[in-house]
Amino acid sequence: MRLDLEGTSGTSRKKPGVRGSRIRPIGITRAASQMAMRCLAVLCLLGIPAVACAQSEPLDFDNIKPVPVFSAGVGFITAFQGGTPNLDPLVSPVILVPLGQNWLIESRDTFESDLAPPPDGIGYKGVLEKEVDYLQVDYIANPYLTVTVGRFLTPFGIFNERLYPIWIRDLQSDPLILPIATGPSGAQTGAMLRGGFSITPRVEMNYATYFSTLSTINRIDSDRDAGFRTGLFFPGPRVEIGGSFQHLLQDDHSNAFGFHFEWQPPSTSLDLRAEYARSHNGSGYWIEPAYKLTNAPIWRHELRHVQLVGRMQQFFTGTVVDDDLPVLNTNMFEFGMNYYFRDDIRFVSSYGRQFATGGNENVWTLGLTYRVALPLGHGDVQ
Amino acid sequence: MTARRYVTCGILTLAMALFLTAGALAGNDRSGTANAPATATTAAASGKQDEAALRIEGERRFRANCGRCHQAPHKFPPRMMATIIRHMRVRATLTDEDMRLILQYMTQ
Ligand code: HEC
Repeated sequence: MRLDLEGTSGTSRKKPGVRGSRIRPIGITRAASQMAMRCLAVLCLLGIPAVACAQSEPLDFDNIKPVPVFSAGVGFITAFQGGTPNLDPLVSPVILVPLGQNWLIESRDTFESDLAPPPDGIGYKGVLEKEVDYLQVDYIANPYLTVTVGRFLTPFGIFNERLYPIWIRDLQSDPLILPIATGPSGAQTGAMLRGGFSITPRVEMNYATYFSTLSTINRIDSDRDAGFRTGLFFPGPRVEIGGSFQHLLQDDHSNAFGFHFEWQPPSTSLDLRAEYARSHNGSGYWIEPAYKLTNAPIWRHELRHVQLVGRMQQFFTGTVVDDDLPVLNTNMFEFGMNYYFRDDIRFVSSYGRQFATGGNENVWTLGLTYRVALPLGHGDVQ
Repeated sequence: MTARRYVTCGILTLAMALFLTAGALAGNDRSGTANAPATATTAAASGKQDEAALRIEGERRFRANCGRCHQAPHKFPPRMMATIIRHMRVRATLTDEDMRLILQYMTQ
């Protein structure tokens, strides 16, 4: 989900924060939100058998035949942007179809709505937005190389490809720099080579390099460009550092580049992530520490489920205006608190303040997120 | 040659180089990569102690990798786990060895 911060973006390609538009009076909307909560509850129940049937016998893992899997990120977020409440239900189903030993077909769609009070103030309105996030075929050619064709998430920086899903992100708003080089709707249409391998037992390298064609087809649009991302991961201290580059093969043939950093010290429950990106549309960075209170001195049993998050970010405008990016230099601070009922279901909340020359604004979010995962066939080895 | 062509050629050369290196390494690798799993299989056969060592190694890799982007997940049924690990291998660019050890750990 992409919360758009009022006054920073113009009309956007994948309009953040404005989704949803079945015109309804507020009473029905409440019913709709209750319905969404019920759906979440049912989905939670559906998830339980998956946990229950995990096996305890050792298996000949080379002979485990993978089964198609359905998984989905589900969320219901209420956001207050500059005092206006928005209701954001979202479902993002993922289908995984493994073929043979080396193939995988994967796809993700997003259905989301942003229900906001209309100017006359009666009820909530919005449109249901649908998006094909990716639809790709992966061929694991050898331990070092996977070939992907189709529509795939742009591997530029870390947020778009790794942290975007509603059930993964620690704060529900998008980083301001997310639209830099990720292309319209965050995806590319073309081919990609990627992989990861150990350089030494202490260092792993990962890479993704891609070429994308221009697509103007609604819901599967993309730019014509080429780029790569590479990273070094140190499994001991759990640090990753990396960089991304992209060259646009259309319009002004501009370049974009970025760097990322991730650190999860093994001895604590801290996640520290940061990204910097620059293109002619602007530049900026975000830094996000997240800490789970696993070792709190008091109420350890309750507090170990609590995660505290902060994010600081700055955006500086570039020479060419991009509708998805803030039109003014912007600073933003956010603080969040998430409560994990399990690894896949949590309550999320955050408060943020955005400072821009055009005016400052508060952003609050509250919600529930859930990830369901089910086998489409027998999950157990017969 | 314009700067644009330079960059495009650079990217294509890089892609080619990666392809070729990968191919060359893969040639060596049948023995090389299979090394970890092969070692794994032989070791597992050679006794309970080695099996325990593998499990510990699998758990170590699970802890180092599976909580990097999201909360480390619970175990799923084995055939489902195999698909998920394949998905994560592609998405998270996990190494072949990590993938095998984690799959083994997650299906025990
Ligand atoms: C580099 C980041 C990253 C790492 C490392 C990672 N994951 Fe994921 N994982 C993701 C993302 C992103 C998704 C969401 C996929 C989507 O929605 O397209 C995901 C989804 C999942 C899901 C939901 C089902 C599915 O396949 O979509 C499970 C279960 C999962 N991961 C387990 C694991 C396990 C087990 C590991 C360790 C081997 C792991 N992940 C490592 C990023 C990662």
